[in-house]
Amino acid sequence: MAVKSEAVVEKYSKATRVLHHIHTTAFILLFLTGLVLFIPGLGSLARDSYTRIIHRVSAAIFIIAPVIYLVMKPKAAIQAVKDAFDWGKEDIGWLKAAPRYYFLSDEEGMPPQGHMNTGQKLWWLIVVVFGVVFVLTGLIMWFLKTVAPPGLFQWMVFVHDVAFIVTGAMLFVHVYLGVIHPMMTEAWKAISKGTVSTEYARSHHGKWYEEQVNKADKKG
Amino acid sequence: MADKAILYDASRCTACRGCQAACKEWNENDETIPTKENSVKAQNRGSYENPPDLGPSTWLKIKFTEVEHYNKLDWLFTRRACMHCTDAACVKVCPSHALYYDAAYGIVGFNKSLCTGCGYCVEFCPFSVPKLDHYIGIEKAKVSKCVFCTQPGLNRLDAGQTPACVKSCPPKALLYDDRSALITVGKQKVQTLQAAGFAGANLYGEKELGGLHVLYVLNDTPDKYGLPVNPPFPDVATAWKDIIQPVGWAVGGLTILGLVLNFIVAREAKMTQELPGRGKKEAKHGGKK
Repeated sequence: MAVKSEAVVEKYSKATRVLHHIHTTAFILLFLTGLVLFIPGLGSLARDSYTRIIHRVSAAIFIIAPVIYLVMKPKAAIQAVKDAFDWGKEDIGWLKAAPRYYFLSDEEGMPPQGHMNTGQKLWWLIVVVFGVVFVLTGLIMWFLKTVAPPGLFQWMVFVHDVAFIVTGAMLFVHVYLGVIHPMMTEAWKAISKGTVSTEYARSHHGKWYEEQVNKADKKG
Repeated sequence: MADKAILYDASRCTACRGCQAACKEWNENDETIPTKENSVKAQNRGSYENPPDLGPSTWLKIKFTEVEHYNKLDWLFTRRACMHCTDAACVKVCPSHALYYDAAYGIVGFNKSLCTGCGYCVEFCPFSVPKLDHYIGIEKAKVSKCVFCTQPGLNRLDAGQTPACVKSCPPKALLYDDRSALITVGKQKVQTLQAAGFAGANLYGEKELGGLHVLYVLNDTPDKYGLPVNPPFPDVATAWKDIIQPVGWAVGGLTILGLVLNFIVAREAKMTQELPGRGKKEAKHGGKK
């Protein structure tokens, strides 16, 4: 086991963490209030449209929160979206080594990772792509009911449901890997407190750690 | 019990709209002018037809169509209300079973207290019948539609009565009976009309969407009346409810199962690594180095 180091590095800025928590809360509320329409046995929970009201309020937060972030931190936001689509050799290496890592605690073969590891990036890519899909299909269903042609509306419901299935299943994976998986040590700390130990940064995000060190050297 | 139905004979209808008023009165769908938000405003639009569409408190209306056929201008009347399909898209897409097939009468029943206001039925109905009382706002919403006079406390069928619209119809353009009996009556009427020179006369609703529980005797083809010709059951509803949602269950279930399995295996592997004497090599057997 690694020797615990007192030194810490910032992994997620405060703005990023606040956005993460607001967006997660909104998404979980959207997920649960959508789920009651998915499970026939829970349909009665949706009666009198209380879940519809929660769904719409959450949807507004789901849309507005990232927009506020974009206005406040345009550079970080644009960079983050670019990162989602920035895939390279290390990512393939990660995907190959991941099963042995996550099942057998075998860290060998894991290529050094950037600020996000490939798995996190995959989830982030899903969040970006399906976030847009959710918002577009949702807005059409919300504001263009009876205005949009019925055929379009019907497909919007269908696509919204597909996005729900993909992101809903992946949300379980995300939460599991972040806070439950036996190997997880500092991922939750990173998003809750913002910092990780230098030891963790070096071992889990080697590429990013090197970049940070180089940056610091240049400045110093 | 045999399926019940309403037969609307367009050739007898005088468009007095007594049915429209009787429907509102019996079902307590009062409407003042101007009407509430998203409801259909009753106002002069240069036509005798009013209101322009069905609404949350207008479950039945007579539609007016001006067409040229049989070498003359004609003013056609059509009854607009729930068709009570045998294969009803609204029942298929309703997530809370608020819309259901009524076993006693064969109609499409609606339990308003279960309605979530999602509005799927509004968009999937091939006849654009159900209407929400609120669309855009962040507030409660309920759908409404004709329930064949079976509202709790106002159930005419259980009391052995005919629906209010049928009861009110002066020229007997509306009939209520067993569906099979009305098909016989309708076919006879169509033959009479055809013999009288209405070549396009037909009975609408016998086969459409598995059989409608509102049948139409028409002087001419359905399109002339603004009725959809052979309306299809929406494919998206089938793909969504019968394919995508079961797939969703499988994906969600397998994901959670996979995570549980992963937890068991990974925990064991980690403990093997950390605790001495648990045989590190044993846990790694079969793996390539």
